[in-house]
Amino acid sequence: MTSRCPLRLTILLCLAGAALSVNYGVLRFQLQSSTSACRELLRQLIRSPQYCLADTRDFQIPEEVKQPRQVQKEEAMVVMHEMLQQIFSLFCRNFSSPGWNETVMENLLEELHWQMDRLEEAMQQGEFPWESRTVHRLKTYYLGIIRYLKAKSYSRCAWTVVQVAILKNFSFLNGLIDALRD
Amino acid sequence: MLALLGVTAAVLVAGAPWVLHAAAGGTGLAPPQNVGVDIIDDIFTLQWDRSREPPGAVAVSADYQVPGMVDIWTELPGCQHVTSATCDFSSLHPYAYEEVRLRVRAEDGGLTSPWHELDPFVPYQQARIGPPEVHLEAEDKAVAVSISLPGAADGMWQLDRGSFVYSVVIWGNATGPQAWNKTLRSRNPRIKVHGLLPETTYCVTAQARLLLHRNPAAFSPARCVSTPVESELPAPENVKVVLENQTYVLRWDYTWDNVTFQAQWLNSYLKRVPGRRPEKWAHVQGCEHTPRARCALPPGLLWREVYLRVRASHGARSSSWSEEWKFDAGRRATIPPPVVALKALDSHALHVAIGLRNQTELQHLLTYEVRFWENTTNTERTIVEQRTDFPVPGLRPRTVYCAAARALLAAGPRSQHSGPSNTACARTAAGGGPGARLAPGLTATLAALAALLVLCALAAAGKLAHYVFFPAGQPPSALGEYFPEEPLKNLLLPASVERTEPCCVIENADTRSAGGTRGDEDHKAYASQTSQDSGNYSIEDGSAGSGGQGGEELGPPGAGLVARSACGREVCVTRGPGPRGL
Repeated sequence: MTSRCPLRLTILLCLAGAALSVNYGVLRFQLQSSTSACRELLRQLIRSPQYCLADTRDFQIPEEVKQPRQVQKEEAMVVMHEMLQQIFSLFCRNFSSPGWNETVMENLLEELHWQMDRLEEAMQQGEFPWESRTVHRLKTYYLGIIRYLKAKSYSRCAWTVVQVAILKNFSFLNGLIDALRD
Repeated sequence: MLALLGVTAAVLVAGAPWVLHAAAGGTGLAPPQNVGVDIIDDIFTLQWDRSREPPGAVAVSADYQVPGMVDIWTELPGCQHVTSATCDFSSLHPYAYEEVRLRVRAEDGGLTSPWHELDPFVPYQQARIGPPEVHLEAEDKAVAVSISLPGAADGMWQLDRGSFVYSVVIWGNATGPQAWNKTLRSRNPRIKVHGLLPETTYCVTAQARLLLHRNPAAFSPARCVSTPVESELPAPENVKVVLENQTYVLRWDYTWDNVTFQAQWLNSYLKRVPGRRPEKWAHVQGCEHTPRARCALPPGLLWREVYLRVRASHGARSSSWSEEWKFDAGRRATIPPPVVALKALDSHALHVAIGLRNQTELQHLLTYEVRFWENTTNTERTIVEQRTDFPVPGLRPRTVYCAAARALLAAGPRSQHSGPSNTACARTAAGGGPGARLAPGLTATLAALAALLVLCALAAAGKLAHYVFFPAGQPPSALGEYFPEEPLKNLLLPASVERTEPCCVIENADTRSAGGTRGDEDHKAYASQTSQDSGNYSIEDGSAGSGGQGGEELGPPGAGLVARSACGREVCVTRGPGPRGL
């Protein structure tokens, strides 16, 4: 059994935590577990990356997303939401692409949607950097991906290249999730 | 002097245009005034104040630069030699997310003004959101509003189509005290307003704003539609999902009989999908043509977040769809179900212990919702706890109670939770009736008894210590009766030797009978004393073992025998009250 002093402190911390609008511990856990699930689902979706190697391309994601150093949690949330939204929209573009496992794709879209819901709930209160330059640079990055797909007529190889790039996006998302601390 | 002044003034006046010329960098023209950028959706407009010269006399040209992409000043397409007060530079839309620099100058024939550079801007950030298009469809006591985003599919908002928040204002055409209006917000461009009156005209205006940006947004022009005559087959009402006996059941209200119901579901993420495709609703298994106003949800739906809707049918006619109910059974895949154990604490309480199979970092984040019920009567209560060990008091004795729990990861209005745990049962201890009322008193009595025992033990220990360290000087008188022979008396000196003082005068055998009374008195005095000595003695006068001859060496009367016990203490060997076994 715990002694009385840590118990009182725990109760105080719980009350203080309850008074804050967002429990970042819970949010981090939820986003991390969902991002893990997304990575796993995307891996199932990627087919034959080997013969598409010739098409590999670096879409140049902004550096500050690759290595988020000292980022404030508010900016991290805005950046994460942008990434999730763009990944969601990207996969919605050609939802019924032949060769894709529809169940896996549905599950992936559900996970992305769920994460965005969690973030949007958490972002109902607080001050957020709405005019983040990182968000603008991310839009350019995703626009580059869309233009690439269009130029390659949404070919299977082009999609594979894009899926591999998005898989790396989920690793970057994990780095941003770590910034969500009180 | 005056002439000098006059000449100076004339020079100054004549030189004014020259001064202007010099000030204007040698062109004589001032750059355009009040230059500004106005971007609405995909239309980029540069505007300035019209010049005072006759129209057409002065033209404006602009250059642009996009640092990192277009590093040198380049002519801005659509804004070269413009004689009106605005020009369209929408050709810069590929740079919507980049920092753009513009500069403008006035031109009059061969003359040009100096460049006037505008503050750098990001078109996406500057852009206003134009009025969306609104399409209305009247239904039975409802209006379906469909909002189309402004701009081209590959325009300014092409990457934001899923990030809009729509505001809809709907009002009835009645005025005065019966005037009614309602404002709704939705993340979905398809909004259905229920609960309206039949045969009434309603008007709608809508606005689309970005979720994460502060761009100003315009409302659409009002569109109006009239609701039809009330249908004979109204839509079901109060659609909701309830938990009944660990099953999720979709229920609704309906006043009419002889109808069948049809339920449909939609994956809630589909409402986020941008585009004008119709929503792909699917039938709920087991609820295709049900006559009852309820149906159990199939397990497949419990792992998703879905919208549900119901309509009634009678023959070939169907009602309109009910209001949609958003259902989320919680994503149970990520939180393992807890393990519950119950044990009796006493006749009125049970102890609940909750554990998680996998010790994850989750534990400190979780709350537990415990269903607790009496096995025979099924009266149930729900206890919400963050502790994993806690008592449940106020129970009846000798009664079986059961508990099951689920773990909640409470986060905002929708909490995520695990599946149900095992069911654990236990019986409270016996007791109850008068015993129950006496229990506190009984506890106090027991406590008092325990205290008394402790005191007695302490007193006894004190006496023993006293006996050990301060033994009585006299052997028991009975010793002499049974063992008249001196030597044996020595042997029979008890392990529990009593002494009254550290080293004392000891009666020898010769004086013993004379002092027998006194010895008795001593015996009586020491009767209650005990000794803790080990009882192994050796006589220091050199004799050991049985000491048969020891008695002869006792020494003169009044002299004491000093023996050393096995534990090394010196004790006065006296003739105390009877030998005691070791």
